[in-house]
Amino acid sequence: MMKAKCAAKGLLCFALLFSLILTFTATAVAEEEIKIGAVQPITGRFAFAGVQINAGLEDALMMANEEGGINGKKIKYIMEDGAYQVDTAVAAFKRIMARDNPIIMYGESTGLGKAMAPEIKDRYHILYSSTSFSSELADAAKNPYMYVAGPTYSDMFGILLKYIAKEKPQAKVAFFYSDTEFGRDPVEYGKETCKKLGLELVAEEVSKVGSVDVTSQVLDMKRKGVEYCIFQGFVLSPVPAVMKQAKDYGLKCKFMGTFWTTNKMLLDKLGPMADNYMGVMPYSFYYEENVPMIKKIIEWNKKHHPDVTYRPTSYMQGFVNGLLYVEALKRADKEGALTGDGLVKAMNSIKDVDFGGIMAPVTITDNKIPMGRVFKGNSKTLQFEAVSDWIRLD
Amino acid sequence: MDILPQVIVSGLAAGGVYGLIALGFVLIYKATSIINLATGQFMTVGAFVCLTFLTYLAAPFWVALAATLVFAFFLGVVIERVMLRPLIGEPIISVIMVTIGLGSILNGLTHMIFSPEYRSFPEIFPPDPLDLGFAIVPSGLLWGFIFAIVCMIVFLLIFKYSRTGVAMRATASDQQAALSMGISVRKIFALSWSFAAITAAVGGVVIGNISGISIYMGGIGLKVLAVIILGGLDSIIGAIIGGFIIGVLENLSGVFLDPVFGGGTKEVIPFFILVIIIMIRPYGMFGKEEIERV
Amino acid sequence: MRCGDYKESYLKDEEIFQTVFVKFWLALFFIFLLILPFFANTYILYVANLVGFAVIAAVGLNLLTGFTGQISLGHAAFAGVGGYTLAILMTKAEFSFWLALPCAGLVAAAAGLIIGIPSLRVKGLYLCIATLAAQFIFEFIFIHWESMTQGVRGINVPSPQVGSFLFNTEARFYYLTLGFVVLTVAYVRNLVRTKTGRAFIAIRDRDLAAEIMGINLFKYKLTSFAISSFFAGIAGALWVSFMRIVTPEHFPFHLSIQYLAMVIVGGLGTVLGSIFGAIFMTLVPEILNVTTSAMSDVIPQLEHLFIPLKEVVFGCLIVGFLIFEPHGLAEIWRRIKAFFILWPFSY
Repeated sequence: MMKAKCAAKGLLCFALLFSLILTFTATAVAEEEIKIGAVQPITGRFAFAGVQINAGLEDALMMANEEGGINGKKIKYIMEDGAYQVDTAVAAFKRIMARDNPIIMYGESTGLGKAMAPEIKDRYHILYSSTSFSSELADAAKNPYMYVAGPTYSDMFGILLKYIAKEKPQAKVAFFYSDTEFGRDPVEYGKETCKKLGLELVAEEVSKVGSVDVTSQVLDMKRKGVEYCIFQGFVLSPVPAVMKQAKDYGLKCKFMGTFWTTNKMLLDKLGPMADNYMGVMPYSFYYEENVPMIKKIIEWNKKHHPDVTYRPTSYMQGFVNGLLYVEALKRADKEGALTGDGLVKAMNSIKDVDFGGIMAPVTITDNKIPMGRVFKGNSKTLQFEAVSDWIRLD
Repeated sequence: MDILPQVIVSGLAAGGVYGLIALGFVLIYKATSIINLATGQFMTVGAFVCLTFLTYLAAPFWVALAATLVFAFFLGVVIERVMLRPLIGEPIISVIMVTIGLGSILNGLTHMIFSPEYRSFPEIFPPDPLDLGFAIVPSGLLWGFIFAIVCMIVFLLIFKYSRTGVAMRATASDQQAALSMGISVRKIFALSWSFAAITAAVGGVVIGNISGISIYMGGIGLKVLAVIILGGLDSIIGAIIGGFIIGVLENLSGVFLDPVFGGGTKEVIPFFILVIIIMIRPYGMFGKEEIERV
Repeated sequence: MRCGDYKESYLKDEEIFQTVFVKFWLALFFIFLLILPFFANTYILYVANLVGFAVIAAVGLNLLTGFTGQISLGHAAFAGVGGYTLAILMTKAEFSFWLALPCAGLVAAAAGLIIGIPSLRVKGLYLCIATLAAQFIFEFIFIHWESMTQGVRGINVPSPQVGSFLFNTEARFYYLTLGFVVLTVAYVRNLVRTKTGRAFIAIRDRDLAAEIMGINLFKYKLTSFAISSFFAGIAGALWVSFMRIVTPEHFPFHLSIQYLAMVIVGGLGTVLGSIFGAIFMTLVPEILNVTTSAMSDVIPQLEHLFIPLKEVVFGCLIVGFLIFEPHGLAEIWRRIKAFFILWPFSY
């Protein structure tokens, strides 16, 4: 027993020493390599999305490498886990910056973005985008280096509310959101937009992710005669539970959601109730096979990830971010300015660029891309079908 | 106030689910005086295992459930043997920390074995709600309630009438005396962990049915502490009834307090209640009065 | 036993640094700490700062849990109170950092007093659960008391400054942190030698006997809560000041568990233990992160297996230490020292 204990302790010491040495050594640098770093939520509450986002971002960058890189230069992708916790994520961010000095960083959450915003502006000067569609991170004046590869949550609410106002003027609307930054982000803007569009915001329901019982919230909505309910801040749970309990209690209401809630997992869980859910999505879906970029994605996955049968919206988010990075890098490299500032200039010069149809032609306005389509769930195919054309908010 | 009956009924149904999880805590505490803060993770493991049986082995639900219970039984035995046995006699804080560590380990392992996507159960229970006339009970909650009552009755009977149950009560009461009467305290400990794992697995299946399965569904375990404090740490009836009360109070606060505070009160009310109970009557409604005071 | 080490008075016996040998090595270590920023990169300094905050909080928690025997699962909440107080005072009331910091500590101490009140009614497990409830109640307050805390939006905090010198880089803040760590450790280590410290230990060991001997349990338990929360508040405030932002999501339950893990892994009841524990528990996740990224370069397929392995390792460490080394790292250190003192005759 003593010998085993000694051996174990010795091994532990060695392992610790080894890792300490690793910490102090930088990764080998190849000539003419462009480094892109990412802090992804591979573990933690959003792990199921993090794994896909990471795959999407990496695939887009590796695809570019295979097509010749950035005018010959190859992209190196460095990823670390942020566990969807601010301190772990910040540590990972700083570690990558100190060790590899990339010129682009992708972040895992609104929290990380807000925590690093002052330093990105004052010290690091790198291009930054993230999983978050928070309006606070798309502010060209305050945070010129930070971008959102799509519409902000406020924009998404705007698109949905416009749709509601067209379908049923003066409808009674409710917001159902989680008690987090993610959930509360677009609520203020949503309130103002309702007033502007003549819609009546009769209820605001708050719930935790994964609630078992949402009776009081559903009953409140029924009492107030809600006709449209918009979710924000959830990915799957408790949306199906809310919709089911609404049905049980006789609340006849249409449900809608923003980017992260509008995913195939939800439709699978909703089953026959899928017809009652609509969402806003700025990217194309994996099953829209007549879109050229989607065809490319399918082929790439067949070749490199043969086990994959479907890629969800989180993958698309990572992928589109990757496409934007590649475009910005190409433009900046042509100007000979492969720095954060050069990339910012390049991003802002993106106007009417077609990324193979995965979005309508892209123009970056105020550090975001305010466009999207409204989709409706189909309970027979369990897929989303577009019920509107591309709506732009600029 | 016409929604009041509905709110109370749903609260009772949700409370049934809480009671089921609370039972997991109580069963361990009753025999070993340990609070297992990893109960939430036991739930998650139970839900995942059941899902595996259902999907990969295409077994009918009751078979899958039975298989899950068997698995939970052995899980309890293994955990007790490996982790808790060496800690007999250590101060309580160590044991609590070990259960927390155990929770971390289980979390990581479930993540590694099952990827982190959300899953859902195929339809296990009939989806129609129960219509009571003045109120409706959604099917997921209804079945949680039924399972809770069934488990409570089963365990009450076991503890009151079977030899094992009496042996467990004896061990909880006085280990030395139990040992001297020939009761194998080691077996009793292992058994109590197995019972707890079984109840938690059932709870996991119920909650998985309501809100989907993910590796982080165990978070509800902490809220349930309020239930066991209210009911009494070592009382089975207390766990279930405490569950009902907390379920109803949660819903009531959702209706009356949420508008005042801008939402979110449902999550925090159980903890307020917990603090109040600890100040006024720490051993809860049905617990044994053994608390030392200053 | 050290050779040639005679004590000729009680005073000498109570000294913290008992031999010239110890004093020499400690001075050397201190010099190393002072010159660290000159050869370490920003990431390492960042981690060093984090370790510093953890040490302050852990030492405080050890005072409560290790020396007074009151278990607290809500320590992160007090750090949060301190952090928010600092943020609110610096932004709304335009206090300077140097005034806001002690206020943050005092407000956190007040919160500790309130949470300590159940300790007068219950002990052990029940107190543990009550502090757990406090953790969640405070989180709720942070999110919902929007007029003060700005809710989930959080508050942006300016860096501390002296005149026109801003402490806004890792290196500069490091010296600030180092200063506070030294102050905290010195204070607590000395506190344990005094009458108050001995009262704490008496309460931990046998509170009935302590009461009979005339120690006012009421007063000393609350004092312990207050002091430990004070340091938690300071740690939280420093962290918030370092990050320059505070949101409710900065102080979750997970953080309370980490603090408790630091204290236990380090060794309950010794100040040195909590220092070791803080360093260990802060460095281990970082080292694991580095190792997993390094290994995933080599074996990319297993990347997704390695990352959740971190949680498993964290749990195993806690369980392992509790089973095999219940007195923690401090005990291991003591054994190593004992080995070397008598080396090469250490049998």
